[in-house]
Amino acid sequence: MKIELDRPRCEGHGLCEEAAPQLMHLDDDGELVIDVPEVDGPELDAAKAAVRICPVAALRLAAA
Amino acid sequence: MTMRRIVVVGNGIAGLTACDSLRSAGFDGELTVVGAERHHPYSRPALSKALLHGDHHLQAHELPQPTHEATELLGVSATGLDADARLVRTDGGGELPYDGLVIASGSRAKRLGPAEGTAGKVRELTLRTIEDAVLLKELVASRPSVIVIGGGPLGMEIASGCLHMGCDVTMVSDVTPLSRQLGDHLAGIFTSAAIRAGLRMAGGGKAHLAASDGGARVVLADGTELEADLVVTAIGDEPNTGWLSGSGLFSNGSLRVDSRGRLRPDIVAAGDVAFFPTQRGVRRVPLWTSAIDQAKAAAVGLLRGDAAPEFSFQPYFWTEGFGLSLKAVGFTPVIGPPDYAEAGEGADSMLLRWGSDLGSGTAAAINYRIPVPKLRRLANAGPEALQRIVPAGV
Repeated sequence: MKIELDRPRCEGHGLCEEAAPQLMHLDDDGELVIDVPEVDGPELDAAKAAVRICPVAALRLAAA
Repeated sequence: MTMRRIVVVGNGIAGLTACDSLRSAGFDGELTVVGAERHHPYSRPALSKALLHGDHHLQAHELPQPTHEATELLGVSATGLDADARLVRTDGGGELPYDGLVIASGSRAKRLGPAEGTAGKVRELTLRTIEDAVLLKELVASRPSVIVIGGGPLGMEIASGCLHMGCDVTMVSDVTPLSRQLGDHLAGIFTSAAIRAGLRMAGGGKAHLAASDGGARVVLADGTELEADLVVTAIGDEPNTGWLSGSGLFSNGSLRVDSRGRLRPDIVAAGDVAFFPTQRGVRRVPLWTSAIDQAKAAAVGLLRGDAAPEFSFQPYFWTEGFGLSLKAVGFTPVIGPPDYAEAGEGADSMLLRWGSDLGSGTAAAINYRIPVPKLRRLANAGPEALQRIVPAGV
């Protein structure tokens, strides 16, 4: 699966980074960077948790 | 016992997260979720923020589609629970047997006046559901005068949204808005911005609704009378526990879960409905990340019992309004001025921190983009945990 970011929606809460620090982080300007866009196996759960916790639904998982 | 059938009552973010977490934890049995709302879960915080303020944000509340493959009974309410027979009753006469139950039935808006449909009733708007939000947005589009009763975060966001739409808005609050939730310092910052944005403030004691020709009248305890086209109340929420009457699950009238979300080994509760242990005592915390984190813990608590990790609540809160965007980590309200303050770039941009005798402190960012993990480091360990933060005069 591929993690997709709808950048205009992102408010920079960074709750996704807390849920999946191995996959994404907010940079010094508070912009979200997806470090590992393609996920499967054990990292898929972390990606799902990150997508789910975003209160503005800026993240989504799509078929790779 | 082996869990083959789990029923989740409530299809808000807590119910959804519980379903996701049960699947992630390996539950591959029969999963049924019962939701009184007719929709898939949506983002409730967005209703009074982007949705109400935005001109083109009618999708601001939408969340990704569920992937938990539960049987979803939407628009169906739970009406009763037989905890001994392990049976949830639903409206329309349905019965759902379970091995494990997740109670995530949420809460509803408290009302000042009698329920809808009562004779002679003054129209009282509240904001809890997507239907409430769409109705409010439609009504304020014609720029009516608005009275908002209740100076908590929701009331202030509603007031901000109505002002943004061009309405004349009066806030009725006995205390400085947001002071009970955030403390005087942060409340002062928001209230100043609100007054600059044109919000009128009214105190004067407990408010009552009265009939009025064409609009609504609000009478305060000190005799002050206010009139407006619309009255919106935001005076808190109350847990949806009516369907649990007679279930034997209450202690002192409320649902109090243990540190793994359990009421009994086969019943957990999470989200706005539940009281749970925190570092500051047993509390109900009806907020977004609280609901998600509780639901994750409760799902594992239901499957693994005492082997599940204990839930350690880490508060995160945000609000927006009057040109300000606040993110806060740690317990609030905070007392007095902050111990550290750092100005950011741009107007009203600041990063603040309060220490605490109880260990981790509280950090708040206003119009300051900072990742939550970094804000949490600031809250927990103080400014030395961050690079390039220099103590500044407050």
